[in-house]
This record gives sequence, structure tokens and C-alpha cells, in this order.
Amino acid sequence: MLDDTGAAIAIEGLHHSYGSNAVLRGLDLTVRRGEIYALLGGNGAGKSTTLSALLGFLAPEAGTVRVCGIDPVSDPRAARAAMAYVPENVSLYEHLSARENIGYFLALAEAKRGEDAIENSLSAVGLAPEAWDKRMSGFSKGMRQKVAIALALARDVPVLLLDEPTSGLDPRAVLEFNRLLDAAREREVAVLMVTHDIVSAVDIADRIGFLGQGRIEEEREASATGPRFDLNALHDRYAYAGAAA
Amino acid sequence: MSAATLIAREEWRVLARNRAGLIASALLVLLILVASFTSLERRSAIEADRERYQTSTDETFDAQPDRHPHRMVHYGQFVFRPIAPLAFFDAGVDSFTGNTIFLEGHRQNSANFAEARQSSLLLRFGQLTPAFVLQTLAPLLIIFLAFASVARENERATLKLMLSQGVSGRSVMAGKLLGHGAIALGVGLPAFAVLIAFAATGAAEWASVALMILGYAAWLLLWAALGVVVSALAGRPRDALAILIGLWMVIVILLPRALPEAASAQSQLATKIETEIALHRDLLEIGDSHDPDDPYFNDFRDQVLARYGVETVEELPVQYAGLVSIEGERLTTQIYADAADRQIASESEQNAFVHAFSIVSPLIAIRQVSMALAGSDPAAHYDFLDQAENFRYDFVQRLNRMQAELLPGIEGEDPRISAAYWQQIPRFAYDTRDPLARPQSLLWPFAVLLGWLAVLAGLAFIAARRIGKSAR
Repeated sequence: MLDDTGAAIAIEGLHHSYGSNAVLRGLDLTVRRGEIYALLGGNGAGKSTTLSALLGFLAPEAGTVRVCGIDPVSDPRAARAAMAYVPENVSLYEHLSARENIGYFLALAEAKRGEDAIENSLSAVGLAPEAWDKRMSGFSKGMRQKVAIALALARDVPVLLLDEPTSGLDPRAVLEFNRLLDAAREREVAVLMVTHDIVSAVDIADRIGFLGQGRIEEEREASATGPRFDLNALHDRYAYAGAAA
Repeated sequence: MSAATLIAREEWRVLARNRAGLIASALLVLLILVASFTSLERRSAIEADRERYQTSTDETFDAQPDRHPHRMVHYGQFVFRPIAPLAFFDAGVDSFTGNTIFLEGHRQNSANFAEARQSSLLLRFGQLTPAFVLQTLAPLLIIFLAFASVARENERATLKLMLSQGVSGRSVMAGKLLGHGAIALGVGLPAFAVLIAFAATGAAEWASVALMILGYAAWLLLWAALGVVVSALAGRPRDALAILIGLWMVIVILLPRALPEAASAQSQLATKIETEIALHRDLLEIGDSHDPDDPYFNDFRDQVLARYGVETVEELPVQYAGLVSIEGERLTTQIYADAADRQIASESEQNAFVHAFSIVSPLIAIRQVSMALAGSDPAAHYDFLDQAENFRYDFVQRLNRMQAELLPGIEGEDPRISAAYWQQIPRFAYDTRDPLARPQSLLWPFAVLLGWLAVLAGLAFIAARRIGKSAR
């Protein structure tokens, strides 16, 4: 399930353009099992394009993409079976309950999980049990996000791709979410988190990469001693990268 | 369970939990049932009236006293066309063509008492029959249920989530088509059940009913496929809805009404007055049997005298006036038949023009299938006219022969023959046309419906490929 370097996610020299707009220009990125990687970048920096490449939704113009050693373009089914993806602002199906939504998507993924697994994942994301069987049409944005994350957890896969996962979550829910990612890390899950939420990234990420000019411009690793990251320095770096973008 | 089946089942669950969709579906089902039962009731009432009128006119005809046979030629007969069994399902052109003809000597009358000429304006816009509901209203419901099938998934990012579970674009499209295809067939199910029940009573042929169901199934599936494909290609639900409503208006409302107008402009039919004038002119050219100098009838008289080997008409063993009537009827009938053939040829040309455009408006194709199998199409009307005319000719010539053969033996200035003679003349019995007698007439419309389904399958394939790309 890993490539030669032991990385669950391995991107090398990835190029991709939309028309004349070159978004990714030689992106190199690896995420190891049990590692949480936060990818920061301004709007249009290529964060979502990177996720799309990992999901096999687009074919690279140059470079290679591997998820657990699988090329998602040539074998998207196998690659997608190894990863769970939480899109930004996903609304799921409003006519279904949280439990039914997760059950449906698990069935589509051919992931045979019992009711216990669904309930455990719903419980893990902090969704109140009385909401599990209610239709999602009455759910807040945060509640919907929790269900989407619960679905990703219930998939129980080695790679998690998260697109702005804390968007719409209140601070307490963000804390709970971070605990979930901690648990995932302990289960050797590789997490790639695309986010604008620098605070959450500082709290949970093992490495933070700044995406700019179509590649990782700078990467910082969490310190084993003292503060994990220098938040002020990161903020300045991020603001600068955003201005550049 | 395959991903496509799961997605199809989800579409059914969406419908089951969509109150507006359920109410609209229930209303349409109710409308089909109401249309079926009222159409059956109307057919029974019209059939009862027809039988009553036919019996009444036959009795009046039989009750005529001893008369000169030529007076009976002008007394004539009314004949009524029985409604084809499946015409309750699709009234076709029956409401406009008339179902009664007055048969008399020397002329062919057109069918009269068309329902549309006596009824309200509403009838002209479409009688409430199961065919009308399936052809016009069912596509609207199917559009309403299918327009968001893929577009909403795209808009709400559930499509991307679905694909990220390892589901292929092809499975998404297959599931949506399966789901909405089954819903569309479910919409038609009450009508199909009525048809099957009707066939089970022995009132209609199973083959016609089976083909009718097949045709409507293809029509409904076509709209389901169109709804899903447009939903996938349009991207946004509101765009998909606007496109589909536009297509419905063009395919179901505009073209089927505009094309006959275009056909009329291209191949104009003679007006009734023009036809009458032309006929009158042709009839004058035959000659005048009462004119002693008329070359045609002088020649005819000479041939008759030669055939019987006599010198004068008074020496003939038959009444000469009766022979002139027989010959005159033969000639006028030929003129009327030629005029009718020209009229039918022009109408058929117009119909062929309209039918050719069924490629762009498959409603024309399903109408062709439906009317032909229901026995309410123009061909069935022509068949009635044809049978009625054959009967009329035989009826008039029998009376003319009675005049020629029986009158010479009767003395007096006002010779009459017994009423028993015309009471023995067989009555008109319409031999209902077998809708499948000309199966080739169904080939084109079925080919059009299947062609549309094939094209939509191709577009669905393209949409499936685009789904993966649009999920970036």
C-alpha cells in the first residue's frame, strides 16, 4: 500500500494548466502514513487542483501522482478505494438522515460496514445521537460537515483528503475534529488537509506546506519540543504568500 | 448490488420523500384512470347511440311502402361507422372526420357529424383520453422529476463525493437512467394496466395492445432519458429545467401544430366548393341521357339495342331508363372515385410531410403508432369511406337493376315494386380494419422512437465521460 519511499501520497513534478493558466508547475509533495500535512495557499494557488489530481479527476500534463503506490488516473477505482475525501461545503442528501447518507455512500464505495461502525463514526465527530436519524435538510453547515467527516472516518482507509475541513465548524467542533485527526494519525492514516485555517493547521499538522507559484515554496515541520510552530511567523508567511498569489 | 442499482434506488427514494413529486405523480395517475374510464364510457355511449340510430334508420328504410325503385335510390341510407375497440384510448382523427355517411344514388357524400364540429372549443385542443395524458402531460411530469437528477448532484458537490467513492461516471449515468426510466414506466403503468385489462376481456387484439404498450414505453423512456441527459449536460438544475421545458414546448406543442400548417401550405387541398365545381364540370362532360343528340348516350343506346337485337327501346325486354341509370351510376361513381383518390392522395402527401418531421418531434411518431393501433388514424377513416362507397354502389345498382328488370312487367302510369325487394338488400356491416394489416406503416414511427433512444444513449455516454471531468 506504500510506494518505494514509504509515502502514502507521493506527487512528483506535477504540472497542470487550465487553458493558458498554469496552476501547478512542478509540484512535489509527499505525505507519510501517520502524518498530517496541511497545505496552505492563496485562492487559485492550486490546492483543489492538487486534490483533484490525487482523486484522478484530472490527468497530469507532466509528473507522477501516486496514492498508496496506485496511479489514480490509470486505476481510479483502486486509488479511490484507498482514500476518503471530504469536499468543501458538501451538503450531502437533504432527504436522507445522517445515518442513511453514510450508509448510502459506504454502499457506493462497496465498503461493508455495520451499523455500529456508522454510529461510532457519527459519535466520533460529536454529532448528537438524536440527530442521527433526522433528515439533513434541517442540519446546520457545521452538522453537515461533521456527517461528511464521519463518512470519511467510516470508510476506514489509509488516506484522508480534506478540503477546508474546519470551514463552518465552531471552535469546539474544531477541537473535536482535531482530536479525530489525532486518532487517525495513531491509526497510521495519512491526512492531506487543504485549508485556510492556519490556527487549526498549527494545532494538528505535522508538516505545513505553502503552495505558491504552482509548487511548494516552503515547508515547515512541527517542532518536537516547545511550541509546534511559530504561529506569528506562519501567519506572516501565509499573508505574504496570499498577497503574492 | 451494483453502484448503478444503488443510484437508481436512491432516485426512487428521492421521489418517495418528495411530497410535490408524489402529489404530481398521483394526480397524473388519477388523470390517466379518469381519462380511461370516461373514454370507455363515452365509447359505450356513442356505440349505443350508433346502434340505436342504425336500427332506427334500417327500420325506417324497411318500412317504406311499395315504390318505384329509383325513389328508393334517392331515399338512400344512413350508415354509421362503429368505433374501433381501442379508440377509447386514442380518439385520433375520429372526432374530426365524422362517423356517419348518407348513401344515395348519383353522388358520394362525405362523412358527417364529426364530434369536434358539434362540441365545445375545448375538444379541439385535445380530448381527455389516456393517449392525450401520456403524450402531452406525462412528459412534463417526467421532466419535473428528472431535470435535477444529475445537475443537483453537481451543484451540491455530492457528485464529486460520489465519484470519490470509486463510482464511475458511467455508473452514475446508468443509475440515473435506470431510476428515471423505471419512474417513467411507472407513470405509464396505470394506462398499460387498463390496456391489458381491456385486451383480457377479448375486446382488443393482444398484438395491438402489446405494440401500443411498447410504443408508449419507448415514448416515456425517451423523456426520462432526455431529462437525465440534459440534466447531466446542462450543469445547473435551473438551466436543465429551462432547456427541457423549451424542448417540451417545441416537441409536444409547437411542431405538431405548426407542421400540418406547413404541410397545408406546401400541398394545398381543394376547398369543398372547388371540389364541388370540379365534380360538376366532370359530371357535365359525361353527357345528358335525356338529350336525344347526346353522342355518348346515343352510342350507349345503340350498343344496348344491338345487344338485345331490337330496333327501338320500346322493344327491349328491360326498362331502358333503368339501364341508363346503371350506366349513369357507373360513370358518376368513377368520377367521384377519381376525385376521392386525388383528395386522399393530397391528404396522404400532407401526412407524409408531417410524418417525415417525426425525426425532430417524436410526438408525431408516437401519435402515428397510437392512432394506427387504436384504429382511429386517417387510414381507418379512408377504409370506412371505401367500404361505405362500395356498399353504396352495390346498393344503388341493385335498385337500378330492379328498375330495369322488374318494371317492364308492371302495368300503369305509376309502376311500383314490392317493398320486399329492398328489404332483402343486405345492410351495411363495417368490417373493422385490422390495425396490423399494414405493419409497414408502423415501421417508420417505431424506428424514429428507437432512433431517439439510441441518440440519447449516445449522449448519455458522452455525459458520463464529462461527469468525471466536471468533478474537478
